[in-house]
Amino acid sequence: MARTPAFPSRRSFLQGGLAGVALTALPLPASATARRAEQVLGQWYQLLLELIRHTATYSPPVAARSFAYLGVTAFEALATGNPALRSLSGQVRDLAPLPAREAAPHDEACVLQGALTHAMAAYFGNTGPTGQRAMQAMEKRLSTVAMEGVGQDVAARSVAHGLAVSQAILDWSAGDGGAVIENMGFPMSYALTEGPAHWVPTSTVAVQQAPLLPTWGQNRTFAIPETGPCGLPPPLAYSEDPASDFYAQAKEVYDTSKALTDEQKLIARFWSDDPMLSPTPPGHWVSILLQIFDRDGTPVDRQAELLALLGMTISDAFVQCWRSKFEHDLLRPVTYIRRVIDPKWEPLLNTPPFPEYPSGHSTQSAAAATVLEGLLGQDFAFDDATHADEGLPTRHFDGFWQAAEEAALSRMYGGIHFRAANENGLAQGKCVAAHVLELKTRA
Amino acid sequence: MRKSLLPLLALASPVWADDPALPQYVEETGHGLATPYQGEWQYMVGGGAAVFDCDADARPDVFIAGGEGPAGLYRNVSEPAGPLRFAPVEGLSETAVTGAYPLDIDSDGLTDLAVLRVGENHLMRGLGDCRFENANAAWGFDGGDAWSTAFAATWEAGQDWPTLAVGNYIDRKEEAFPWGSCTDNWLHRPEGRGFAPPLPLTPSFCALSMVFSDWSNSGSRDLRVSNDREYYKGGQEQLWHMEAAPRLWSDKEGWKRLRIWGMGIAARDLDADGFNEFFLTSMADNKLQVLNPPAGKTLPQYADQAFKRGATAHRPFTGGDLRPSTAWHAQFEDVNNDGRADLFVVKGNVHAMPDFAQKDPNNLMLQRADGTFVEAAEVSGALSFANGRGGAVADFNADGKLDLLVVNRWEPPQVWRNSTQDPGGFVTVTLRQAGTNRDAIGAWVEVRTEGGLQRREITVGGGHMSGQLLPWHFGIGAAEMAEVRVIWPDGSASDWVQAQPGTAVLLER
Repeated sequence: MARTPAFPSRRSFLQGGLAGVALTALPLPASATARRAEQVLGQWYQLLLELIRHTATYSPPVAARSFAYLGVTAFEALATGNPALRSLSGQVRDLAPLPAREAAPHDEACVLQGALTHAMAAYFGNTGPTGQRAMQAMEKRLSTVAMEGVGQDVAARSVAHGLAVSQAILDWSAGDGGAVIENMGFPMSYALTEGPAHWVPTSTVAVQQAPLLPTWGQNRTFAIPETGPCGLPPPLAYSEDPASDFYAQAKEVYDTSKALTDEQKLIARFWSDDPMLSPTPPGHWVSILLQIFDRDGTPVDRQAELLALLGMTISDAFVQCWRSKFEHDLLRPVTYIRRVIDPKWEPLLNTPPFPEYPSGHSTQSAAAATVLEGLLGQDFAFDDATHADEGLPTRHFDGFWQAAEEAALSRMYGGIHFRAANENGLAQGKCVAAHVLELKTRA
Repeated sequence: MRKSLLPLLALASPVWADDPALPQYVEETGHGLATPYQGEWQYMVGGGAAVFDCDADARPDVFIAGGEGPAGLYRNVSEPAGPLRFAPVEGLSETAVTGAYPLDIDSDGLTDLAVLRVGENHLMRGLGDCRFENANAAWGFDGGDAWSTAFAATWEAGQDWPTLAVGNYIDRKEEAFPWGSCTDNWLHRPEGRGFAPPLPLTPSFCALSMVFSDWSNSGSRDLRVSNDREYYKGGQEQLWHMEAAPRLWSDKEGWKRLRIWGMGIAARDLDADGFNEFFLTSMADNKLQVLNPPAGKTLPQYADQAFKRGATAHRPFTGGDLRPSTAWHAQFEDVNNDGRADLFVVKGNVHAMPDFAQKDPNNLMLQRADGTFVEAAEVSGALSFANGRGGAVADFNADGKLDLLVVNRWEPPQVWRNSTQDPGGFVTVTLRQAGTNRDAIGAWVEVRTEGGLQRREITVGGGHMSGQLLPWHFGIGAAEMAEVRVIWPDGSASDWVQAQPGTAVLLER
């Protein structure tokens, strides 16, 4: 059986992409070009959300990383031809100047198509046969869209430029520490920290007897410093004394679980965003942004800008959060509650297989919300139908921060986090976002 | 802070002190069986085998799905206790076959075959001497046009014709966004001496295995469906109440949501407590479900004991490829005749999925006296790194020792002869009813010795697109006598019948 190469050669890509396309040298109306470019960006991102769900290595931190690089790829591909956009080179860590365009006409839809076709194949080279088949179908479909009415020389030049930008960013990404994921992110051996306060496996799944990605916090970040100001104070001191604060916070989780309303259960499931069963928490925020684009008819350059900034935000949030998780290495509520309060207790949600403090969803949701507030405004209302296909109803939010706070609270309802992990996670996310908001994306 | 080393490898490890008797296998691939399971995307799942006696010579014959290539029917020409030999039989060489299950639909004493396909499914009426004819029209069976990937059959109460459940997979016309495109499963219920138009079992979530089971030991057989989470949205594992209008067991009735890459089901009452355990195959993880409802209630709530009992089979146990496994067919059978059901699991990468093992050996896990399992495929001589899908554990050469068959993607099937010297004793049990449901599908067979009680439910379904209809095999260890009885599908129980080791018991009414 012929296999899809993870990285299609430039030659085969150009030949395949241009085959069968009607050619013309007439200039196109700007609006038509914009629509084609928006289709290319939007449909690749819809497929991206699916591939995040259906590729076995894509746990939330890994998903966030790919959202970042794909967003930066789209943004930089357009920025090389748009004087209103300012490249991130020289602003984010270790990103060298991107390849310049030839001094000849380019088509933005074709540039994006070249960049994203290459980038998707690269970041999802390990997806299964159905994902590979879907990427091939999408490449064929969007090549037709992108090149409609575009001269052959312009299309070829544009696609080649997009590919070159994507390759440069792929090369940059290879050195960040997160490019290779083995055993679905679970180390083959791992030494638990001794002592009752620390994380122990909570799952009967064999590979999850070690925590997910224990060295992820060492990865290179985009905007936050390597050793920065977004660390957290230690969690509450461990105690099994019923009079202690630690016991009280566990009892809060336990009591909450026993009195959940239907609305609280719905909130827990809405933000559950389980890997392999959803686009993950980072994908949830990307999905929110895509829905806003669709509603507002956001211009494609703005879309790419927002996707790049959101992607880097949630990626940095996960790196920072993982630093804290493995620094403090706190046990999960299910461990404590079964040990001290009720040995038969079952949380509503599956407990994620890594340390508790802080909450990753809280950190990355606060980071995402803060950045989106900074870019789109504080009272930016939106509807979120991310899980409509799963049968969960659309939820309305009056602003991004309201959504982030609900996401944080959902982890308490789900029985997988203590309050401190959610609240301090929100604070940590804000800190991460502040660094991203210092980046300049407009000239 | 000090660190303590975590015992990560809870694989069923081949440590042999106080372990079960080790069977010995000799691979005898290539002596007749030659049908590889071929094809591209639409054949990444499926690849089943049906094992049954189509020529009334008391030797199990084999039908093997060929995917895009022709399927193969093979007559078993093995001599008693001799090497495993098969000879191809003309007919049944149609293409697009994903799997098959034998059953006697019209209760005429000749086993028929439900053939599942990409395209129209076929019910092949047995004519004797391994000849078949397509009976879709005669039985009013609408074979549909889907990507069929699961099958189960039962005789519902009061019916003299079976009810068939067909599981279907993705809408194969979807290319860019196939996820969420699971097509409806079908329930073919009786209508006279044939089938009514199929009833859609909505919602359907890309079933890869299904079985009718009296899971609650109540006499009611519900439909258990294992679904592939790769493709559904809003889906989960399912259990259908088999009522006039089938309905799902809900969370309000105690059903607990489970979402896995469900690929195969093996069922057996391992501890003879009246309730089946279910082994569910998946990727990177497999489940051994033990009924665990709240005290005083019989609800479909299960505890996963695969990790606790060393039956996770989640990554290769040998060969150096430590990436997670992909498991398909599973079957409980007693391969060392010690009176405890063992577990055979067929493995193979979906196709070029680099995050999962490419060298992914099948598992043969022997059950210890304490209910845990120990891996024995390599040490028993049944090691294979081929890309497996379906399979069967059956006594092909009538020597009282269970042999192994595996259907492989792009490679010919493999067989291993059980060559164990001086294994434990065994009995086989054949059920026969006059009139309808000749093979008593839905019955429970019980065998007791001084070593304890064994129970197995007689079903058509489960595994991965692979079924068998043969005398039911029970190892009895060193027991000098066994007692056998059947609880017929209507709940009435036979008397206990004594059987010496090596006896083929026929229970009929």
